[in-house]
Amino acid sequence: MSYENIVRYFIIETNWLELYQQVIVAFTDPKKRVFWGYLLLSVFVAFVWLRWFKRKDSKQAFFTIFSRKVWWSQSAKADYAIFLINKLSFLFIAPLIITQLAVATWLFEYLHELLGYRIIIGDEWPKWIIVTLFTLTYFLLDDFSRFYVHKLLHEVPALWLFHKTHHSARTLTPITVFRTHPVEGIIFALRSVLVQGILIALFVFFFGPKADLYTVLGVGLFAFLFNTLGANLRHSHIGIGYPDWLERFLISPVQHQIHHSTDPRHFDKNYGVILAIWDRLFNSLVVSTRGQLLAFGLSREEKKGEQNLLFIYFAPFKELSSLLKAKKSANKSKGEKLKI
Amino acid sequence: MKLNLLVASIAIAGAANVSAAPNYVDFPVTVKGYEGDAKHSVSYSGQAARQVLHTSLKKLSGQGNGQPNAELKAKMLSYFAAKDAGRSILSPVTKGAFIVDQSGVDQLSKKKNLVGKVYKGSVPGWPGGMTGPEVLESMIDKASSSNKGYDPLTGYDYQQLISKFVMGAVFYNQAVDNYLDEKLAADIKPNSQPYKAGKQYTGKEHVWDEAFGYFGAPANTLNLNAEAVYKIAKQKSDALALADFNGDGKVSLYNEMAYAHAYYAAGFDKGGKTTYLHNIVQAFVDGRQLLTDAKGENLTDAQRTELKTHASTIADNWQLVIAEAVFKYAGSTYKDLQKLNKLIETNGDIAKEFRGYAKHWAELKGFALALQVGNKNLGETAVKLNRLIGFSPVLLGNTQVMGLDAKGNYLQASSIDMKQYMLHMLKVQQLMVDQFGVKARNKDVLADMGELADKLSSGVSAEND
Repeated sequence: MSYENIVRYFIIETNWLELYQQVIVAFTDPKKRVFWGYLLLSVFVAFVWLRWFKRKDSKQAFFTIFSRKVWWSQSAKADYAIFLINKLSFLFIAPLIITQLAVATWLFEYLHELLGYRIIIGDEWPKWIIVTLFTLTYFLLDDFSRFYVHKLLHEVPALWLFHKTHHSARTLTPITVFRTHPVEGIIFALRSVLVQGILIALFVFFFGPKADLYTVLGVGLFAFLFNTLGANLRHSHIGIGYPDWLERFLISPVQHQIHHSTDPRHFDKNYGVILAIWDRLFNSLVVSTRGQLLAFGLSREEKKGEQNLLFIYFAPFKELSSLLKAKKSANKSKGEKLKI
Repeated sequence: MKLNLLVASIAIAGAANVSAAPNYVDFPVTVKGYEGDAKHSVSYSGQAARQVLHTSLKKLSGQGNGQPNAELKAKMLSYFAAKDAGRSILSPVTKGAFIVDQSGVDQLSKKKNLVGKVYKGSVPGWPGGMTGPEVLESMIDKASSSNKGYDPLTGYDYQQLISKFVMGAVFYNQAVDNYLDEKLAADIKPNSQPYKAGKQYTGKEHVWDEAFGYFGAPANTLNLNAEAVYKIAKQKSDALALADFNGDGKVSLYNEMAYAHAYYAAGFDKGGKTTYLHNIVQAFVDGRQLLTDAKGENLTDAQRTELKTHASTIADNWQLVIAEAVFKYAGSTYKDLQKLNKLIETNGDIAKEFRGYAKHWAELKGFALALQVGNKNLGETAVKLNRLIGFSPVLLGNTQVMGLDAKGNYLQASSIDMKQYMLHMLKVQQLMVDQFGVKARNKDVLADMGELADKLSSGVSAEND
């Protein structure tokens, strides 16, 4: 198939209306991080922080938040483009990903077969106990799995090649959350499918119809709290930190900004999303220091072409092939040594 | 107030949409050279008679006193196998404001029975390797000596078994495997001839009408929503106005009543996920219009192809209605087993729960048997279905009916336990989803999971943290 034919195929096969809806939904659905309400609240939190904690006047605070240098940088423009390209590519990829219901159904039937019976536990318990249990378990499992997958993305060389896309951002805006290589997007989608599928099957199997999630505006309670309390500021230049003791329990926006820092001391730190306890358990927590100046990206020096979209999407595959070749030849030489 | 009025009128318009869609009534006479007085050619009174023979037989099936009862058996057989004059309609009868027009079977059609139209093939899902009529005769025999249709030793609820299997082996089988199948061929009951000499309908018109009569939908279905048809079948006090489209203040059991499969289709459709009832009736109306448009001539190949397309729509949707019923009652049985297992563990009183379990199981079994007497051989699916359900519900001592002895007594032997049987019910539901793609999915054992999945899901997209 020629290049022209491939392009033509995608133009014909793309459901443009759905793409448009997906883009709109990203900003209008309270289940999404960049829902307009959360963005507005984040602006408010940022303003309060700059005005009362950083003693800036209102005008300065406004111009800091909406700085053109941040929002219209080469890096931010790449974020916007990646957001759209990924939305487009996921129209094709998403239907191929197994659903959490399929995982749940499989596991439910497997449990039935394995145990040979199904007795509902806690039939007499009030519903709120089971809902609280589900909501809390989901929160902990979801947050931990995000932490752990994130850690793997940094520490497994092949995965890091793809996660670098996210870290190549020089400026951070809430849209940077979408600056993700599609391969990483698939990995994260599978994480979510597995966590949700397993939890749904276990709870419905053992607790029956009482298994449910506390929601606000149709969103899980903890996700809602996280988003209203300024989750969008994690990817921003507003360095909101918490007192040290609190940063040992909850990841503050600036702690995530530290995670994006070019300072080698900050590499592979603060993988957590909401809870800091996982980083503490795995010795990767760094708390913030007052007045700390951070630069974001993969290296101190900006490299030519690092925000080029073709580079961002295809370089990981090229690097992966070199990595595999290097590994192969290393194994070979190891084998030769062994022969000697 | 005005708003209330508006909402109320929209609700009424929704329930009984007065902007007239065609009723299955007014199709003109197209027979060439017809000399009689009839203005219209629609006729399915024989099928309406069989509908009330079925509902009456169902009623009788629940009247046993636990002792051998020759009188009851004879009465049941008179509705099933005889063609006696003077049989009264035992059900449906007038109920409060829901006034029924006819009280005798003969007022609909004379000399009709059910047995002559029962599927004649073997019924592998029932013990004894019997043919369709033999299965029903055996069930009638046992039902007549049971206690209100129920046999606690086998867990059989004959009232449900007989009713659901008659619906399959007579109505469904006759419609989809006879009238809408071989009788659509060019050389059988041609459209250029009256069905019988002197009749006001052509061969093909009557064939089509008979299939419609077996479905059991009111003739004005396209002007009603599923909820309304459901209410008519249930004879709700406000349903008379919905059913009585000729405005004589009574519900005609010929073409204003909802029966059998149409009732089940309406039951599923009122959940809002499916439109089986209207898909089927629309196809019947469209097919009938095509025959009217043929003006008493033989059908061209193109017309026959189109008619067969309508027939396929009917057969496919009808099969889905039965598959949905299998799905639903597998779910009910699963939930009954869940309760029973709990009661057994806590030494609770199980008698009432067990009766409910037997009823749901019989509905499941009856529909599972019905599913197998359509126009297609279900092959492996039928084998799986029969194996999963077994010949009887799993009983308290972990036994199931395994067959019949030479005297026609049921043989029981040890089987899986009631806990494991729950998994079979779950698998029956899965089978209906995989093989038929059921959508309404009432009593879905996995429904709680679907709802939770919807709550948790925020859609797949490439995001970071």
